[in-house]
Amino acid sequence: MDEDLKIQLGKQGVFTTTLEEVYNWGRKSSVWPLTFGLACCAIEMIATTMARYDLARFGAEVFRPSPRQADLIIVSGTVTKKMAPQVVRLYNQMPEPKYVIAMGACAISGGPFRDGYNVLKGIDRYIPVDVHIPGCPPRPEALIYGFMELQKRIVEQELTGVRRPAHTVVAAPSEFNVPEFGEHGLEPPMNPTIAPRPQLVQINIPTSVQASPTPAEKTTTA
Amino acid sequence: MSVINIEEIKAVMEAAVPGAQMEVILNPSPSAQHSLLLPREHALELARFLRHDATLCFDYCSNATGVDWPDLETTEKIRTKTTVDGVDKEVEETRKTLRSGYLEAVYHLFSMEKKHGPLVVRMRTADRGANVTLPSLTPIWRGCEFQEREIFDLYGIVFTGHPDLRRLLMWEDFKDHPMRKDYVEPSEDDGTTLLAASAEGGTAV
Amino acid sequence: MTFVDSPLTRITVLLVGAIGFGLGPLALAWLWARVYSPNKPGRWKNATYECGLESKGDPRIQFKVEYYLYAIVFLIFDVETVFVLPFAAAFTGLSAASCVAMLVFVLLLVEGLIWACGKGILRWV
Repeated sequence: MDEDLKIQLGKQGVFTTTLEEVYNWGRKSSVWPLTFGLACCAIEMIATTMARYDLARFGAEVFRPSPRQADLIIVSGTVTKKMAPQVVRLYNQMPEPKYVIAMGACAISGGPFRDGYNVLKGIDRYIPVDVHIPGCPPRPEALIYGFMELQKRIVEQELTGVRRPAHTVVAAPSEFNVPEFGEHGLEPPMNPTIAPRPQLVQINIPTSVQASPTPAEKTTTA
Repeated sequence: MSVINIEEIKAVMEAAVPGAQMEVILNPSPSAQHSLLLPREHALELARFLRHDATLCFDYCSNATGVDWPDLETTEKIRTKTTVDGVDKEVEETRKTLRSGYLEAVYHLFSMEKKHGPLVVRMRTADRGANVTLPSLTPIWRGCEFQEREIFDLYGIVFTGHPDLRRLLMWEDFKDHPMRKDYVEPSEDDGTTLLAASAEGGTAV
Repeated sequence: MTFVDSPLTRITVLLVGAIGFGLGPLALAWLWARVYSPNKPGRWKNATYECGLESKGDPRIQFKVEYYLYAIVFLIFDVETVFVLPFAAAFTGLSAASCVAMLVFVLLLVEGLIWACGKGILRWV
């Protein structure tokens, strides 16, 4: 639909829309999360649902206790290796369409406890993540911003074509392998089908740039 | 909480349980919380005495933790007099002493009734390999139950007499003891590749 | 075919309209789901929910036979009320013999209530 025509008609009092817009509007306005909090980020998530920050006005009114009724899993907190298979099983048990928000540094990459013997280095090793919210913990406003990003993603999905949502494609996987408890760690340590791993480039700063000290080093503290 | 005198307590304990030889391990730090090393054979009796004695009455075990002491080799230079070709000479000798390693469990005891503490007691295993058993103090203080399970999980000390000794933080089939000094983390390479460095010289960012 | 304006036709039209009002959106939703919500069952997706763990044991537990006491007390109070109500409604026009018959009925159920009281199930513990 032509945008100008839409605006013109809107001025005349005629509201036009497409089926796709209505479908996506319905989906984004009632994303029901699963009550899933692991650690400190869960406290911030709870604070976001309370009166001051109020996630309910974005549609996430009811946090469902059962994964069968939830659309979104907000992985908030450190994912230990002992807990990881349970997270993956809960994700698998959610019906499509489902989304994942990795909230906090620990869920994104292991966070400050990355070198721990029982810490999983990011939940995106086993389930696909839609929105990453950095922070330790992220403020409730940051969680709301991440939630709004998810809503934008949902609106951008089209009903047909390449940008179809995954739940309309029969071939797209709806569940992922659950890791097993191995003798020294989880088996497998990651699921390579989830996301391509980054390719890092090591940057060397030439020594001439390093010669001048930063202003912080020059001043002396009282 | 009033401070306790560890030498007095040691004397009372040695009088109560004959045959038990304990050692005071001094703590050189400003906190001066010296600890008492209990022998493995008499530890349970000594612990029972500590709990049920009228004056001591240590009825609360606030913490139990483990320590891993690996093998320690110390070298010292000693000046000795030896005769070389009939002439007395002072020669420097380097002497190496090897202290074989052990695992240790440390308990912090308080008295809620008498309001004194903490008393720090330690127990050491024979070595870090096959003989890693210690008597469990859970029959005396119930609070040690989970703490000793954690020590078993992370250090490998087997507590005899524990009602339910199994791993606490890691899963049952896990094989290593993560808090030991020789724990090697598994490589969890996730396929992140490092391409060639861009400029030459300088330091890496 | 001529349309006769009788109450029957009106009711038929309204009935068809009501059923259509209910079934219409359902049919549309079913059509939508056939295209845009294909079935994607999976081994883990259809597994029994047990807070993220693999479920162990039989979900069917044996029903406690002690609940028969609830059935007896229900019989006494509820079913008795159902039988007493029409009697109470037509009370003024009935003979004395029917009164006696109803009294016998009530006394039988009161005997059941006394038995339950003696068993101690009416005590709120």
